[in-house]
Amino acid sequence: MSLFKWAQTKSPWIIHFNTGGCNGCDIELVAALTPRFDLERFGILLEGSPRHADILVVTGPVTLQVKDRLVRVYEQMPEPKHVVAVGTCAISGAPFQECYNVHGGIDTVLPVDAYVPGCPPKPEAIIDGIAKLIQKIKEGEAHGKGK
Amino acid sequence: MEKENEIVEKLKSFLEENLVNVIIPRKRRIFVHIKRDALRETIEYLMKDLKFKHLSTITGVDLGERIEVIYHLSHEGSIMLSAKLTVSKKNPNISTITDVIPGAVLYEREVHDLLGVNFKGHPDLSPLMLPEKWPEGVYPLRKEHKLKHLRQITSEK
Amino acid sequence: MSHGSIIKIPFGPQHPALKEPENFLFEVDGETVVDVKPRLGYNHRGMEKAFELKTYIQNIYLAERICGICSHAHTTCYTQAIERLLGVEPPPRARYIRVIIAELERIHSHALWIGLAAHEIGFDTLFMYVWRDRETVLDMFEMISGNRIHYAMNTIGGARRDIHADMAPKIVKGLDFLEKRLEYYLDIVQTEQTILKRTADVGILRPKDAVDLCAVGPTLRASGIENDVRSDDPYVAYDEIPFNVVTHDGCDVLSRILVRCEETLESVKIIRYALDSMPNGTIRVRVPMKVPQGEVVSRVEAPRGELIHYAKSNGTTKPERYKVRSPTLANIPALCKMLQGGYVADIPIVLAGIDPCFSCMDRMAFVDTKKNRKWVWTMQQLRRKYAKE
Repeated sequence: MSLFKWAQTKSPWIIHFNTGGCNGCDIELVAALTPRFDLERFGILLEGSPRHADILVVTGPVTLQVKDRLVRVYEQMPEPKHVVAVGTCAISGAPFQECYNVHGGIDTVLPVDAYVPGCPPKPEAIIDGIAKLIQKIKEGEAHGKGK
Repeated sequence: MEKENEIVEKLKSFLEENLVNVIIPRKRRIFVHIKRDALRETIEYLMKDLKFKHLSTITGVDLGERIEVIYHLSHEGSIMLSAKLTVSKKNPNISTITDVIPGAVLYEREVHDLLGVNFKGHPDLSPLMLPEKWPEGVYPLRKEHKLKHLRQITSEK
Repeated sequence: MSHGSIIKIPFGPQHPALKEPENFLFEVDGETVVDVKPRLGYNHRGMEKAFELKTYIQNIYLAERICGICSHAHTTCYTQAIERLLGVEPPPRARYIRVIIAELERIHSHALWIGLAAHEIGFDTLFMYVWRDRETVLDMFEMISGNRIHYAMNTIGGARRDIHADMAPKIVKGLDFLEKRLEYYLDIVQTEQTILKRTADVGILRPKDAVDLCAVGPTLRASGIENDVRSDDPYVAYDEIPFNVVTHDGCDVLSRILVRCEETLESVKIIRYALDSMPNGTIRVRVPMKVPQGEVVSRVEAPRGELIHYAKSNGTTKPERYKVRSPTLANIPALCKMLQGGYVADIPIVLAGIDPCFSCMDRMAFVDTKKNRKWVWTMQQLRRKYAKE
C-alpha cells in the first residue's frame, strides 16, 4: 500500500461543508464527534482548512449562492480527495426540488464517492458511510481523482 | 374580545375614512385594511398611542394587478393586529416605516427582494437574500414567475 | 496588504458548528467595530414559492425542513394555521402531545446551543459533556416518533403518533437525569471564570433597543423584557399549564446563557406537568383536503423566539401564499446593534449569543474605515487571532 493510501485510510481528515440545508444533517454529523459515537476513535479528524483534508463531507441541496464556494473548497483540497454526500438533500435536492434557488444534489456539481441517505441520517449511518468510503479507498475503487 | 373591540373603536375614530375594513376573526387577532397613504400615521398611532410596540414581520402578497403589504404588529406580545394595504404592481411605491420602527429594516428589504415593492426612504434596499448573480427585476414571489422560468435562471448561472 | 484592495483569504468551513455561511460586512476602527451590515442568502432556498406548489399535506413535510433544530415549532405553527383556516380544533390530547414535543425540542435546542457557545469560548470539555447529555433527549424523540431529528409528530388536525402510557415512565426517568445535569450546567455557567470573563458585559443590548429593534426570544428576555408567546398569546395547551417566563436584566451574552439554561429547567417542569395531566381521547380529527378562502396569522415560541407564519388560502388544496418569519431574522438588527462599539475579538461569542439558526458565518468582510483597508476573514481565523488564555 502506498504511503498516501496508508495515511488516508488510517486517519482520514475530513472537512465539512453545508450548502444550504436545514442543519439536520450537520447536527447529526457534529453529534458523531461527541462521546456517544466518537468519530475520532476511528482516526477521523474534523479539520478546518480544505488544504489539509482528504474527504469533503457535504450536506444540503446546493443553493445558488453557495455553489461557487463549494467548488472552490473542493479545488483547494489536495489530491487524492473524495466526497461524501450526507443526507437526502445532498443526494438529490429533495424535498427542495420545487425551490427556485436550489441547484440539486451534490453530484450535479462535484464527483461524489459515497452517499449516505436519510433525513437526517443517524450518526451511526454517517460513520458507516465514511467507513465504507475508506474501505473503497483501500481497495482502490474510489473514484476520487489521483491515486 | 373587549380589548380587541376597544382597539378597533379607537382606530376607527382616528383613521375615519382611511380605515376601509375591519375583521376580528377570533380573540387576539385583528385584521384592518387601510388606505395606502395612511400608512405612516396608522403605524405611528398604533405604536405610540395604542402601544403596539412590536413589529413581528411584514408580509407581501401578490394579488395579480396589485401587491398587498401587511404589517403584523403586536400589543404586549399578545394581540396581533395585521394592517393591510395595497399598491399597484406597476408602481409599487410605499413609504418606509424604519424611522418609526427601526426593527422594520430587514422586513422591508425582504419584501423588496422577493416582490419588488419599493420602500421610499429606506436606508439600504440592497439584496438581502437573493444571490449576487440574480437578474434585476425578477421578483420570484410574483405569480407571473413560474418555477420553470426561475429554474432556468439558476441553471444558467 | 495594499490600500483599498480586498484580500480574500482562502476559507474553509470552520469547526463542527453549524456553518451556514452568511455574510456580514464589518466596518472597523482598529479593534473596535464601528458598523455592521448583514447580507444573508446562502441559505435562501425559495421555500415560500414552493409552498404554493404543493398541497397542504405535502407542505407539512416541507415546513418541517425549514430548520432541523426547531422543526416541531415550524410544523406546530403550520398545522395550527391550517387548522384555523379549516375551522377545526385538534383534540385536547393532541395539544398536550404538541406541548411535550415542543418542550423536549426546547431542551435539545438550548443544550445544543450551550455546547456550541462553550466551544466558541474554547471550553470544549463543556461542549462534549452537554452534547453527550443531549443524547438523552434525542433518545426520547426516537422512542416516541422513530426519528432523532424531524420527528414528524404533527399533522393537520392533531398529532400523528401518540405518547403511550408505557413511554411516560421512561420519559420521566430521562427528565430526572436531565434535570440534574442542567442544574449542574447552570451552576458552572455562573461560577466558571472562563465563561464569565468572556460573556459578562459583552454584547450589550439595552431594553429600549431590544424593543425598538423588535428582538425576540431569549435575546429579548435577557434584556429584561418579559415577552413569551407561550404566555402572551397561548397556543396548544399552554393556557392550561403553569410555567414561568424567564428573564434576566444583564443585557449581555451571559444573561442570554442564563435565560436559556433556566428555560430548559422550566421545560422539564412543563413536560412533567403535561405527562401527569394528559387528557385521554383521540389524537387527531379528519380534515378535508380543500381549505376554504381565508387568511390567518399563527405564532409559536420556538426555542429561538417568536416564530410567525402567515397563510392565505383560496379554496383549493394548495395555499395561495405562505409566509414564514423565523426568529433569527428578527434578531439580526439587534445583533448588529450589539456588535457596534464592541471588540472584533468578541464577534464570535456575540453572534453565537443570539443562537442564530444560520449560525456562524463562514466569511466576514472587514473594512477599516480609517486606513481604508478591506479584508476577509473566516471565523476560524478570527478565533485564532484573538484566542485568549
